Order: sequence, then C-alpha cells, then structure tokens
Amino acid sequence: MENILEVKNLSKKYTGFELKNISFELPKGMIMGFIGENGAGKTTTIKAILDIIKNYTGEIKVFGLDNRKDDKKIKEDVGVVLDDMFFPEILIPNDINSIMKDTYKNWDSNLYFKYLSDFDLPKNKQIKTFSKGMRKKLEIATALSHHPKLLILDEPTSGLDPIARNEVIDIFQDFIQNEECSILLSSHITTDLEHIADYITFINNGEILLQKTCDELLGKYGIVKCTESEFKKMDKSDFIKYRKTKYEYEVLVENKKEFSKKYGNNTIDKITLEDLMVLMIKGVK
Amino acid sequence: MLGLIKKDLLMIKSNLKILVILLFVYGFMTYQGEMSLLFVLPFMSVMIMISTFSYDTYNKWDAYVCSLPDGRKNSVRAKYLATILLIIATTIIITILSVVISYIQTKVIDFENIFSTIFGAVFATALLQSFMYPSIYKFGVEKARIGIFIVVFGGAIICGIISQFVDFKPLLQALDILENYWMIIFPLAIIVILYLSYKISGCIYKKKEY
Repeated sequence: MENILEVKNLSKKYTGFELKNISFELPKGMIMGFIGENGAGKTTTIKAILDIIKNYTGEIKVFGLDNRKDDKKIKEDVGVVLDDMFFPEILIPNDINSIMKDTYKNWDSNLYFKYLSDFDLPKNKQIKTFSKGMRKKLEIATALSHHPKLLILDEPTSGLDPIARNEVIDIFQDFIQNEECSILLSSHITTDLEHIADYITFINNGEILLQKTCDELLGKYGIVKCTESEFKKMDKSDFIKYRKTKYEYEVLVENKKEFSKKYGNNTIDKITLEDLMVLMIKGVK
Repeated sequence: MLGLIKKDLLMIKSNLKILVILLFVYGFMTYQGEMSLLFVLPFMSVMIMISTFSYDTYNKWDAYVCSLPDGRKNSVRAKYLATILLIIATTIIITILSVVISYIQTKVIDFENIFSTIFGAVFATALLQSFMYPSIYKFGVEKARIGIFIVVFGGAIICGIISQFVDFKPLLQALDILENYWMIIFPLAIIVILYLSYKISGCIYKKKEY
C-alpha cells in the first residue's frame, strides 16, 4: 500500500522536552488517529511535518516528497487545522475566500461557501463574534476547500457539540472514500477516533508508545478487572500494564483470547482508547 | 503572495470606520491650526500596521501562515508590500487634504513646503517602521513596542543632552547642501532603508519557530 505520509526518526530537542525518534507511516485512503496526553508531542510532530518548527532531525516525506525541499508543492495539497492558530479574528469568512483564492491554485470558492452554508456560518461577521464551535467549523471548511489530498488536523473537533462533531466526522469519512486521500487526526476525543480511525499512533513524553490498527487495538486488547489475589497469580509477561484502583486491579492485556485461555475465570472488558491511554500512562508494569 | 497582501489590507479595511473618523478629527484640528495633519497621518499608518502585527500574534497567524504554500517565504514580503501601499495611500491622502486645507485657510498653496514636509514625515515613518519590523519579528510585538519607545525617547533625551555641549550648526549647514535634492534623496532613502529592513526581517522569520 502506497504511503501518503512517512515520518522516520523525527527528533527535536527543547529545554525540558524532547521528541525522540518518532516514526510512522500513513497509507493512502486511511485515517490515523494521533493520541497522547497534553504536552506529549502531538502538535510538535504536526508542526515538524508542516515545517513550522525548525532544527529537527529525521526524514519526513509527504506524497513521497521531502517536506523541506518540496515545501510549496506539498502544501498545495495539504489541508490544515491547527489548534488555536488561524486567521486574525477581525476578518470575516468572505475575506478568507478572497485571500485563499490567491493562495491556493485549487481553491474552490463554491465549495467553501457550500461548507459555510452547511455549517450555518455567516459570511459577513467578524470571526471574533463566532463561538468556539463556529470557529472550528470555519477552520475545517477552510482546510477542505482547496481539494487537498492530505488533511492534517490538530484537535479539529474540540469545542464542537455532538451533532456538529458527527457532521464533521461524516465529512472526514467522505473525504477518504476515493482511497487517494488520507487524514492525520490528533484528538483528545478518543470516541471520535474509535468511529473513524484505521490506525492509532500513541505518543507519550515525546516517544511513540504504540502503533496498531484500530481494529486490532479494540478487538484484541482488553482490560482484566480482578482482585489482588487474582492479580498476584498472573505472570508479568502476560500483561502490558496494570493499575490498582480503590476496589480492584485493572490489567491491560494485549490478547484477550490468549489471556482468557490461560486464566479462564477472569472478566475481560472491551477496551476503549481512553482506557488504553489511562492505563498506558498511569499504569505500571 | 497576493493573498497575503490582501490579508493585511483587509485587516486595515476592517478598521476603516475608525480611521475615517480620526482623519476628520485631525483634519478639523489642522484647519483650526492646532496641529498638522502632515505629521499625524504618517504616524497613524505606523500604528495601523503595528495593530496588524498584534492581531497576527493574538491569533497565532504566523504558525498558520507557515502551513500555507510559500507562506513562510511570502509572509514578510507581503507585510512590507502592504506597508508600502499604505505609505503611498497615506501620502496621497495627506497631500490632497493638505492642499485643500491650505487653500481654505490662506487661498495660497505652498506646494514646495507641503511636499517637503510630507516627504520628511513619510521618511520618519518609514525609518520607524524599518526599525520596528525586524524587532517585532525577533522579539514579538509587545517587547518591540516597548523597545522602540525606549530607543526613540532615550535617543531624543541623549541627543538633547549632547546638544548642550556640542555645536551641531556645521552639520546642519552641511545638510543644507542637500536641500535642493530632497525630492530624490527622501524617496531613495526610504526605499533603501525599507529594503534593508525587509532583508533583516526575512532572515529572522526564516529561522523562527512558531
């Protein structure tokens, strides 16, 4: 399968934080959920892909092209939503159309105004009068209106109500239907990712902790909830991490079926991405 | 790049109502002889451009623009070109207003005096902007504003103190030689200063992380 985005050994040092050898690949026609707690390195990785930050090492290829050498060519086909970074708020959506049609070769004003209409956004009101959800919708409309092949979205659904989120997720799913386009989607709202992501990349403290297909994660991984005595009988190699709560032990296992075969009588719950994040970060081995 | 120039001009347009009101207020004050529009308007244009930097910073525009095609490359260029367009527009407006006000007040239009004052004011404005923009790109709009305030007023105080002990008359007499060439010298100096400033800002912006 052809990759639309390849990140190899991406490293970047700041005082007190380091991105360490980040590597992942996003194939065409797929959605990758990029998860991790605040400050884990998601936005830094996205900024490196877009060459917004400097002095990083490693190789980043978008559409098979080097992100630094072929910057302009790449950005013509990338749609971006960055967390809290957008046009100055004294502008109006009509201004954005006027600016973007002289910025992107493929800017489609009709499509942009269709999104504005679908999202019930006014064309002539200053962005500063918009609610957080409306701003997000405007950012998404702007990211989609030059027919990009890759969407890089940092928290695109934060601030949206469940109905708007659902609407936006449908748009994202339509976007990848032709199997030529892909989405890298960083989000804290992990339930959205469970619905649409094909792959999950989990970053923590500047390092990739886990990379799997979403089906594998949600289908194979599980949480065993057990007593202390049951936990003590478990072999350390049979689980990834565990966490002691007030009443029980929560144990993250990589293969529900195999674990069940070996330990039979334990209750194994289906895992959610939120459970996975909490156990991977807060749990111990 | 046209899109990015448009962005700055559209931001200025968003504040057009306030600008027109200020123009009438200063025009009236000039008519009353309380102040000169020739000095106020060019400095207003500086404040207008600085306000576009403030909005850019507040909305983290510089990070966003780097995600657009040639955004990092063209952002600084667009800001300087928008500045030049604003300087030209301001010069035209103050020239027309000055001629009209001068005619109403005295029925005589002293073109040479008007133009030399305008060029002087625009030169001072361009000089201020040329210092401010690289400082803004390097340190951010708030720090640069304070820095320039200190430099301008500190410089004025130091010059004032020095003038008590040094005789500047020979220097001023030497500058009088240039009197007949100001129509060429001022525009040329503005272009050179803005170009150098643009190059410095470009170098800063190229390396900066957002």
